[in-house]
Amino acid sequence: MTNLLEVRNLSKKFVTPGGPFRKARAMHAVNDVSFDLAKGRVIGVVGESGCGKSTLARLILRLIEPSAGELRFEGEDLRAKTSSQMRKLRADMQMVFQDPYSAIDPRYTVARAVMEPFVVQGRSPEGSVDKEVASLLTMVGLNAGLASSFPHQISGGQKQRVGIARALALRPSLLVLDEPTASLDVSVQAQIISLLEQLRDDLGLTYLFISHDLSLVRYFCDEILVMYLGRVVEALPDTDLPARHPYTKTLMDSTFTPDPKQRRVIAPLEGEVPSPFNLPPGCAFADRCPYTTAICRTETPILTSGTTHPVACHHPL
Amino acid sequence: MLEVRDLEVAFGPVAPLSGVSFSLAKGEKLGIVGESGSGKSLTAMSVMGLLPLSGGRITGGSIVFDGQELTTLAESAYRKLRGRRLGLITQNPMTSLDPLQKIGPQVDAVAVLHLSMNASEARTRTVEILGTLRIPEPALICDRYPHQMSGGMKQRIVIAMALAADPDVLVADEPTTALDVTVQAQIIRLLDDLVKERDLALVLITHDMSVVAQTCDKVVVMYAGRAIEYGPVEAIFDAPQHPYTQALINCIPKGLSTDEHLSGISGTVPTVSNYPKGCAFHPRCDRAKNICTSERPAFITYGNNAAACHFAGDDR
Repeated sequence: MTNLLEVRNLSKKFVTPGGPFRKARAMHAVNDVSFDLAKGRVIGVVGESGCGKSTLARLILRLIEPSAGELRFEGEDLRAKTSSQMRKLRADMQMVFQDPYSAIDPRYTVARAVMEPFVVQGRSPEGSVDKEVASLLTMVGLNAGLASSFPHQISGGQKQRVGIARALALRPSLLVLDEPTASLDVSVQAQIISLLEQLRDDLGLTYLFISHDLSLVRYFCDEILVMYLGRVVEALPDTDLPARHPYTKTLMDSTFTPDPKQRRVIAPLEGEVPSPFNLPPGCAFADRCPYTTAICRTETPILTSGTTHPVACHHPL
Repeated sequence: MLEVRDLEVAFGPVAPLSGVSFSLAKGEKLGIVGESGSGKSLTAMSVMGLLPLSGGRITGGSIVFDGQELTTLAESAYRKLRGRRLGLITQNPMTSLDPLQKIGPQVDAVAVLHLSMNASEARTRTVEILGTLRIPEPALICDRYPHQMSGGMKQRIVIAMALAADPDVLVADEPTTALDVTVQAQIIRLLDDLVKERDLALVLITHDMSVVAQTCDKVVVMYAGRAIEYGPVEAIFDAPQHPYTQALINCIPKGLSTDEHLSGISGTVPTVSNYPKGCAFHPRCDRAKNICTSERPAFITYGNNAAACHFAGDDR
């Protein structure tokens, strides 16, 4: 299996400029993230809001410039590319955004929206434009008759399908899906997920799937990266593996199952994600973790492979 | 405590709600589930008497709260109930707080208005309620503005406002939809505890069957403005009688078995202006027969559930 994408020690530090009345502050949105994504695989990235998963998605396409680390796509060093070279490469790596309501220009028709990538790349489709639009819409399960509709005339689920059709227009090999179903009803979410499954099989796509929903990720993905405050705290090469990091365990326990007989007494995680500015030394999860000892507050645990899979914890379960 | 019978609502010529019934006792938790546009929030708004705000009116049925008929109640009398004995938690905590006012005064206002307290009594009460909602340092929080708090914290403030006047019924309209899973678990657990401690009657509106499974005692499943299945939560999940209920349950990934398949529900929820004839679900139903396209199914009781399907009770 060849790696489509290789990420090494990727970091992004945002700095808010200081002024006369406040100090400059730095925030590590993504901190030392490494992983490989093999062709045809689906990696899921899970974590709460603010853990850096969306920043990670944007870093990979270099929509945001990384502060440090390496990015390789099909063996090519992405960070060495100029912005015009990068634009060409992006034809092969596309993104589907979280909010279909704001990802499509409200003044564009559906046809113009799905053809936009061709305009950006200065290319034209092989056949006629109408034919291309029709085939893209059919591919995502939409009626080709919707081509002349405007976004406000179609439902949220249909809009997200348009977003997917647009991402597929240039026949990319990698799709980065940033919470593609978070703003949709559960019934529509299930439709979109089964569409993505089918597209993967038909077109041989590779996905990086960002989500806050662990049960959805376990259902849909082959591998899981769990992020907490910019770092990968656990990398599960198989979705059936039990959690070793206490944070992953909490995420699993917070997920509701649709079965009233398995009603669990949830011991919810107390407290909230600490501010990513001025992180305390040691493990970022230490304040909320039931297993915290002295070492957790002084030394940052690094991601190391134990008996089964990599986990960044001084006291893995 | 609360009894809704055959509720019908109209906005001018369109009737988005036509037939919702349920009853709720003290200490009970009722879930109302369905997709967007199925009439869940409208049901909540009807109970709260907030329909006239958006131009709707109740055209049929009844809502009885503690022996009092609400559908014919004058607005002035409703004002005494709303916020006092009927509490509402709205969907989006980001927009249900006044961004220009500090937290303290926003919560105080409820006790000042409904319990005739003076400012300092109200503040003492506010701090006490924030404390019971496990908000750290409640006295300090009163001096904060909403934008200084996280989404989960804001939702707790909204809950505090709903509880400030000690209501008997709490209506929670998608209280966790905008929140992270860990925060959702905290809020749901909190609501659960409140129902137990204060003997509240809770109406929980959600589109997520797993939230219902983990929280509620009874369930109303809604589709296209009608209740289509109603029963105790175990029965609804064990033996759903309506294909729509089954389909909603199948939308949730269980996450463990690798051979499971998420199917979703094909098609979309019909809009109010073109509800299909007969059973409104028939264009999306894989069990639909001729009768479903012409005759609207009546609500029939089967076992512990009641379902509006021509084939309810058939062996699957």
